[in-house]
Amino acid sequence: MLAFVIRRVLQSLLVLLVVGAVAFSMFRFVGDPIDNMLGQERTQEDIDRLRGQLGLDQPFVVQYVKFLQGAVQGNFGVSYRQGRPVSDILMERAPATLELAAVSGVLAIGIGIALGVFTAIRRDGFAANAIMSLSLIGVSLPTFLIGILLIYLFSVELGWLPSFGRGETVRIGGWTTGFLTESGLKALILPSITLGLYQMTLIMRLVRSEMLEVLRQDYIRFARARGLRERAVNFRHALKNTLVPVITVTGLQLGSIIAFAIITETVFQWPGVGLLFINAIQFVDIPVMAAYLMLISVMFVGINLIVDLLYFAIDPRLRADKTAAH
Amino acid sequence: MFRFLSVTAAVLLSGSVVAEEFRWAETTDPQTMDPHAVNSSPVLGFLGNVYEGLVRRGKDMSIEPALATAWEPIGAGEGWRFTLRQGVTFHDGSRFDAADVLFSYERASSDAADTSSWFAPVSDVVVVDDYTVDIMTTAPNPIFPDSIANWMMMDAGWAEANAATRPDPENGNHATLNTNGTGPFRVTAREPGLRTVLEPFDGWWGEAEHNITRAELTPIQNPATAVAALLSGDVDFINPVPIQDAARLAANEGVKVIQGIEARVIMLGFPHEAEALKYSAETEGNPFADARVRQAVAHAVNVPAILQTIMRGNAEPASQLVSPAMRGYSAGLAERPVYDPDRARALLAEAGYPDGFSFGLKCPNDRYLNDESVCQAITGMLAQVGLQATLDAMPVQNYWPELRADNYDMYLLGWSPGTFDAEHPIRFLAATPDEAAKLGSWNFGGYSNDRVDTLLPQIQSEIDDAARQAMLDENAAILQKEVAYVPLYVQPLVWGARANIELTQRPDNFFVLRWVTVN
Repeated sequence: MLAFVIRRVLQSLLVLLVVGAVAFSMFRFVGDPIDNMLGQERTQEDIDRLRGQLGLDQPFVVQYVKFLQGAVQGNFGVSYRQGRPVSDILMERAPATLELAAVSGVLAIGIGIALGVFTAIRRDGFAANAIMSLSLIGVSLPTFLIGILLIYLFSVELGWLPSFGRGETVRIGGWTTGFLTESGLKALILPSITLGLYQMTLIMRLVRSEMLEVLRQDYIRFARARGLRERAVNFRHALKNTLVPVITVTGLQLGSIIAFAIITETVFQWPGVGLLFINAIQFVDIPVMAAYLMLISVMFVGINLIVDLLYFAIDPRLRADKTAAH
Repeated sequence: MFRFLSVTAAVLLSGSVVAEEFRWAETTDPQTMDPHAVNSSPVLGFLGNVYEGLVRRGKDMSIEPALATAWEPIGAGEGWRFTLRQGVTFHDGSRFDAADVLFSYERASSDAADTSSWFAPVSDVVVVDDYTVDIMTTAPNPIFPDSIANWMMMDAGWAEANAATRPDPENGNHATLNTNGTGPFRVTAREPGLRTVLEPFDGWWGEAEHNITRAELTPIQNPATAVAALLSGDVDFINPVPIQDAARLAANEGVKVIQGIEARVIMLGFPHEAEALKYSAETEGNPFADARVRQAVAHAVNVPAILQTIMRGNAEPASQLVSPAMRGYSAGLAERPVYDPDRARALLAEAGYPDGFSFGLKCPNDRYLNDESVCQAITGMLAQVGLQATLDAMPVQNYWPELRADNYDMYLLGWSPGTFDAEHPIRFLAATPDEAAKLGSWNFGGYSNDRVDTLLPQIQSEIDDAARQAMLDENAAILQKEVAYVPLYVQPLVWGARANIELTQRPDNFFVLRWVTVN
């Protein structure tokens, strides 16, 4: 067991290092931060001085090793644009993204499962067919378009919801939350629908197909034959058995909700880490880009590591193979 | 029920009228609150509401008194004597006097400051008494007061107490996030990239023209989101309005579009010094070294058509490196080359390229308004006379390094003179590049003309306005005749505001909060 865990952790670290190396080798193609940092009256001398100061004249391997040395001590450097430590900026921005992702995830899972069950039970009904057709929109329309459409409908035309931003937030310790104010909750609605729509339709379609599969099983027929109530059959017996793959997919999708928040945050000017990253790219703010990419890859690698370890815990065959090999 | 709703609505409406809260959105957040750390218009434009200089620009861009009440040349042009305004306090209550001017000079001209180039002509700053300061210059400098309109005064005591005596753009310090100016507004909350809140400063020396009690700036990067926010009333003002949305917004009740021209002139540049073209398969040598070829380019580009289609009639053609709104503009040279493809073809034939040639055109795609579309149009127009351009458009952070590395055969450039004077583009774009003398630092093509180089220092030190203008005219005529650049148009300025907002638009694209009235 221990050997397996250690090997998986080492592999994960290797993946992280490679991701970082690829990221750093790409930064030079994003452009040159110097022109953004100096005004139009800069001279070549200023450019060379600043480049030397920031270490941009060194090969990317050296820059990368320096970044890693800082990162293992929790120091991600100073943002070129804001002149403040990157870790402070990330900490400020993270609550916005995490709250948005959490609400989107809950919406996607709740509505997705409910609609999935509904469309499976009433598979030939008009409403179910309409929902299935509409769900194609969620899968096929790009996020930014959905966001803009929602803004135009609910903010510009109807005037019900704010068109951008996070509303009023309340500070609790190092965390800012929009859950405690009316404007904060209102501001959450459109972005979380935009962000969660794809996952929602995905979960709905998955639940529906699993459900249809399960409903054909013999034990469901026997349950019906025994005279159990429809509700008990559908929810206690059928739904429970469809959830295993749903949970797996949802877990993996959690990472993408946070990572895909970039587009939603840009459309709604949502002050999270995704927007921060987009700004960093435009400004060639290398410390911010590097820290963000590393955090996202830590998250994905971490989720995969946990999933692997869970499989190991759940599936006894993995363990049996190892002992037999000795 | 209906009555209850209407009462609530009335209360809400009257509440918003009394508060006079003003919310506005810009594409770029000012990256720092330090007035000497970054010399860029988002920063200086915003901080102009909070900090003040010795002089400032009025609604028509003219220089007017601010923290100095009067100024006069010393002797035969050894420098300038500024008489300071008395009774001015900083936001923290401390007194403004000559020591703060000296400190602000040392701070803004230090190595760490991005504004140090403003003080290149300054040899010394002498405190005569508490309210008199002499700024000595190495040579007579008639436009010095014009060139320091954005030089903002910081309190020496405050900076020392907070360990911010020098700007620190790389690591930041107290002044990066906090302000203490003398201006009409003080910053009451600052969350970088999210929002910045301003409230009027009760102790301001001037007479308030505005009626704002609180103002909030939010950066909104996505243009469509900004337009939606303005339409829905979530913000009262946005800058800029995307050109393609201007007509639609103007047709909307409750919203108005304010248009003008900016200080920025968009032009085409050439590789004057290059031995050969970089992106041409068949051409030997550098055709653009021949003024006739550059003249042909000028005649081949149909500027009115570009302005009509891509700029939707919002921009003005340009004939020289500065717009008519700038000091020192040569009114006698206002005519730009007419669109005449036949003449362009004839000029090319005369220069030895009857069938034209191929070359590479470099262009940014996120720096100027619709820059890539403009370059595409130019590519098509040049093809009509046989000039086959291969367009390579890229984000601006990749663009400048390419130009510095001479990787172009023709390029698009926009120039906004920081001093709002015709001398500025000559110094940066037309003077022969000279690293030590800080000349021609944006003259990528290495254009060089002895007469231009001789005239420049004379222009810089000429006190007499008429003589100075004559030299500027001569200079502009040389640049036009040699087609050093092909000026295309002056970039438009398009702002959007709610109908109940009164404001003033200035060609430097600075948003001045003290001229805003909420009706």
